Amino acid sequence: MNEFLNLLQQMSIFLIIAYLFSKSPAFKALAGEVLHFKHRVLLYCIFTGFAIFGIYIGLPAYDAFADSSPIGIVLAGLVGGPLLGLWVGATAGCYSLYLSGWSELGVISLVLAVLQGGMGGIVCNYYQQRGKSEQLFNPLVAMSVTCAGVGLHLALVLLLAGEDIVAIAVPSPLVLPTLLANSLGAGLFMLMMRDQKRMIDRVGVFFSARALRIAERSLGIFGRGFNVETAKELARIIYDETGVGAVGISDRERVLAFVGQGADHHLEGLAIASPQTRQAIDENRVIYADGVREKFQCALSDNCPLASALIVPLRVDNEVVGTIKLYEPQDRLFMNLNRTLGEGIAQLLSEQLLRYRYENQKTLLTKAELKLIQAQVNPHFLFNALNTIIAVVRSDSDQARNLLLHLSNYFRKNLKRSSDLATLEEELDHVNSYLVIQRARFGDKLVVDLDIDPDLLQAKVPTFTLQPIVENAVKHGISNMIGGGTVKISAHRNGKKMVVTIEDNAGFYCEKLSSDGLGMNIVDKRIKSYYGQPYGTEIECVPDTMTRVTLSFPLEKVVQP
Amino acid sequence: MIRTLIVDDERHAREELEVLLLELGDIEIVGTCANAMEAVKAINHERPELIFLDIKMPVIDGFTLLGMIEEEIMPYVVFVTAFDEYALKAFDEKTLDYLLKPVDPQRLAQTMKKVHGALDNNEKPALPQAQINRIPCTSVNHIKLVDPQDVEYVHSDISGVHVFTAEGNYFSELTLKVLEGRAGLLRCHKQYLINPAKVDEIIPLENGMAEIKTIAGARLPVSRRCLQQVKAAFGLK
Repeated sequence: MNEFLNLLQQMSIFLIIAYLFSKSPAFKALAGEVLHFKHRVLLYCIFTGFAIFGIYIGLPAYDAFADSSPIGIVLAGLVGGPLLGLWVGATAGCYSLYLSGWSELGVISLVLAVLQGGMGGIVCNYYQQRGKSEQLFNPLVAMSVTCAGVGLHLALVLLLAGEDIVAIAVPSPLVLPTLLANSLGAGLFMLMMRDQKRMIDRVGVFFSARALRIAERSLGIFGRGFNVETAKELARIIYDETGVGAVGISDRERVLAFVGQGADHHLEGLAIASPQTRQAIDENRVIYADGVREKFQCALSDNCPLASALIVPLRVDNEVVGTIKLYEPQDRLFMNLNRTLGEGIAQLLSEQLLRYRYENQKTLLTKAELKLIQAQVNPHFLFNALNTIIAVVRSDSDQARNLLLHLSNYFRKNLKRSSDLATLEEELDHVNSYLVIQRARFGDKLVVDLDIDPDLLQAKVPTFTLQPIVENAVKHGISNMIGGGTVKISAHRNGKKMVVTIEDNAGFYCEKLSSDGLGMNIVDKRIKSYYGQPYGTEIECVPDTMTRVTLSFPLEKVVQP
Repeated sequence: MIRTLIVDDERHAREELEVLLLELGDIEIVGTCANAMEAVKAINHERPELIFLDIKMPVIDGFTLLGMIEEEIMPYVVFVTAFDEYALKAFDEKTLDYLLKPVDPQRLAQTMKKVHGALDNNEKPALPQAQINRIPCTSVNHIKLVDPQDVEYVHSDISGVHVFTAEGNYFSELTLKVLEGRAGLLRCHKQYLINPAKVDEIIPLENGMAEIKTIAGARLPVSRRCLQQVKAAFGLK
């Protein structure tokens, strides 16, 4: 009965130690998968202390052999690997040797302690190599290994020291309790550690989930631009998800959005007042006022409840475009976690802004390029056309009137291309007006040859796909030929494609085509962006002989059945 | 009467300008040309005092054309263009005036006043000194631009100027004088220009004359007058 109470007593002490240990920062070292040297040293100290303590709380009457040191030693090997196990074992063993007054018994103790540490380590290796490190925190494993360790202990004593010593050291009635006490103790210790580790993991999972949720909810918001509307939306999400006292978003000059406590005086649209925000912007760094050592000073109101703040600059290409601010009121501490989260969010949003800017520039560029093509409705053409018409008026006023109508049709179509798609017929009408005028200018020098499949006239094509190419053929091709030439325009079906070709027999601008000053790229880009990579423009050029531009479209998409 | 040539690749543009000029009077239109080759020929033959010159023309533009005209017969030049003021700026001092298409008759009248003024003051037309980097040539209904570096020699006879290259010979409207000064060719005879890079041998003859053998094996006469100059070009005394 006495032994049983002793056993209980021992176990309670173990549990208290285990509990304290699991609450201590030292335990964090175990929560990670990989142990750094620093962590190993820490664990070495703890487990050695633990093992030595076990020597003292062992059953007092029976010396070193019935003590509880194996728990610390085996566990050290188990959680920290063979090296840690051996070191803890050696240290604790030496200590017992010292306690036993350098006796024979003490030497055995030392050897045993080292062996026990090694055993823990081998099991640790075993599981790690099989990728089952979570088994190391299984209490049953700890129990069995410790049991084996103590069993080895007893077996060795039998082998090495002869029966008399064993009889003195470990009286048979005590074998069982010793075994039980150590195994159970180790098992319970491990159980507690496992629970604690799981809790930490769960907290980690919880916060990761929160961070991911913020990321998910905020994704794409800045893809619509960095303005009051998107800032408001984001501030609301961050406020909801982090649960901080208040969230503010500013650009470089003013507050774009503010949600939470103090929203009555942190008004949207106000110029940035707080010196800390200014500092974050000017110095391009994170400013953290923890509310204890450094207080957040609201520059707007003395009654502002906010006392701590994290101010993270939003950067695009390392240039500060604004800030995100997380605040906590006077009565709450700024959680470290929210600090990490806040910086992470800012990082994420910065990436989004960069992307937005990039996309924005890209579309702006395409638009500008399209505008450029339209603007290339060049004055040269206009004034030459007018010059021709003025001359024609003298001889043939009907023809002059006709030309003027075509000229106005041409310009109207150029100026009023708001829609993105037009029928092939509309495009050809536009082209026709252009060609009628050019034929009047160049006379016999310009021959136009049209070959259009009438079924394709209603096909929808992006606007301004034919026009620039026909203009190129005339401007850079035929008009540079001394004797004049022919422009051939054809549209026909080719398998699953609609193919439109524009060909001249000048072959003058092969070089210009490859360097593209002719708006050919944008035609290609537009067709590809509508219909995908397999379609677009294709250019063949034989110098001094011909230039042929082929436009291909997916037949089923451009022709509505 | 001012002898005037109109050069423009558009028929209507030529006609309109002709009508406007004739309305102003005191003008004789000696020709209208549709491209630079025709223009060089007409200028060499007709020796106009004034040309109205379109800038944008096929193969050889108005600016380049001016570089192909001999100094002595250089007429006054009025550029007529739809939209090339920026290009004209660079050419400003070298031209008498420029007109924008469509041509405003009143503006044309001002231009003619300027022309009369220049004629009365006996001003010399400005001469654009441009290197010719392509020699326009014709061969059977076809226009060929010959790189002066590819030229072996140039010969002029009663039928005109012939440009000889490794690929063949072509007919050119440009005079020897122009080619000598602006295409880097060397005069070796009244009727011959040689490309110094294509000379293989200079063979002295008895009476102070010489003969040049080209790399391709052609033999050209070197006149007494030109021998010094030819020798100097090769650093010989």
